[in-house]
Amino acid sequence: MNEDRRSFIKKAGIGLLAGIGSAAGLFPALSLEKTVFPAWDEKPEPGKHRWGMLIDTRKCSGNCRECVAACHFTHNVPDFGNRKDEVKWIWKSGYEKVFPTASSQFQSSEVTERPYLALCNHCAEPPCTKACPTEATFRRWDGIVSMDYHRCIGCRFCMAACPYGARSFNWRDPREGIRLASTEYPTRMQGVVEKCNFCSERLVKGQEPACVEACPEAALVFGDLNDPASEIRRLLESNETMQRKPELGTKPSVFYII
Amino acid sequence: MTAASLLIVVLAGIYAFRHQESQAEKVAAPAATAVVDSSACIASKEYMKANHMRVLDEWRHSSVRDGNRVHVAPDGRKIDKSLNSCLNCHSNNRMFCFNCHMYANVKPNCWNCHISPMEAP
Repeated sequence: MNEDRRSFIKKAGIGLLAGIGSAAGLFPALSLEKTVFPAWDEKPEPGKHRWGMLIDTRKCSGNCRECVAACHFTHNVPDFGNRKDEVKWIWKSGYEKVFPTASSQFQSSEVTERPYLALCNHCAEPPCTKACPTEATFRRWDGIVSMDYHRCIGCRFCMAACPYGARSFNWRDPREGIRLASTEYPTRMQGVVEKCNFCSERLVKGQEPACVEACPEAALVFGDLNDPASEIRRLLESNETMQRKPELGTKPSVFYII
Repeated sequence: MTAASLLIVVLAGIYAFRHQESQAEKVAAPAATAVVDSSACIASKEYMKANHMRVLDEWRHSSVRDGNRVHVAPDGRKIDKSLNSCLNCHSNNRMFCFNCHMYANVKPNCWNCHISPMEAP
């Protein structure tokens, strides 16, 4: 037996490969290339989209509340009729409250007296998610700052962290405050924090957010901020826009044309 | 010959560019979704009896946190990971969840938020 090491290893290697090959034929689970992908492989690509909204406040004015009504009906947001128990996802507020740090002095009274629409800004650097001790609120793969109500323990740290007052606490059982219930979306329970979810349940069906769809003046534009060809990006380039409290560095995804 | 092939390349390029332009929709098509298919259960009765809570927990976690909404049943059907996929069928019996849970003295908190078969319209 004067076979040298090198040729022995070669033959052994060929034998091993042949063994794997025949085993793969016999047992499909051993084949090297996956042919059937399990469901967990269909995860969305993180950071591909970043959903954003542009509010043209020149068109959005007056006492119209179509968007608020549509949103609050769609998501079963309760209305108890008092400020203490108030739960809101989208609301109208004065210029001083929505843009308290806007530096433009001597604005025209038409601008400062107009109501402005406010909602969760779905920040790129959200302070609320950093405050949450249970990761019940988190920034999703598509830029939406989402709430997992199953995990919320009601500590309200996120409410303290949010600089925009976009979060509400359920002091009471919300089902008592829902007059007309939508069966398409769950309610919340007493003791959790809730806020706008950018209609993520509608986005998976390929629909636009309820407020955008309901706006009679088409003042709300929703789209992908990461797509340079999207309508929202085109409007952001061709108009001068504002964000709420941009100096905080939260990088809001909601923009305003004043 | 070369002129013809050049023309084809240019036309293909224009088509691809146009096609790409029309792709810019307001809301991009969802990455991976499936229909709410409630025609048949995703697994056998025995398996679901023992493991429905694990299935629901797995569905909740992967759809809410990872955005993976598609469940592939052993027979290859794709099902939306939603409580509605179950309830579309099981809400036919208003006591479906409650009979067993009451017998076993189990008090899951699903129905604090989700609409139970008992409340379904």
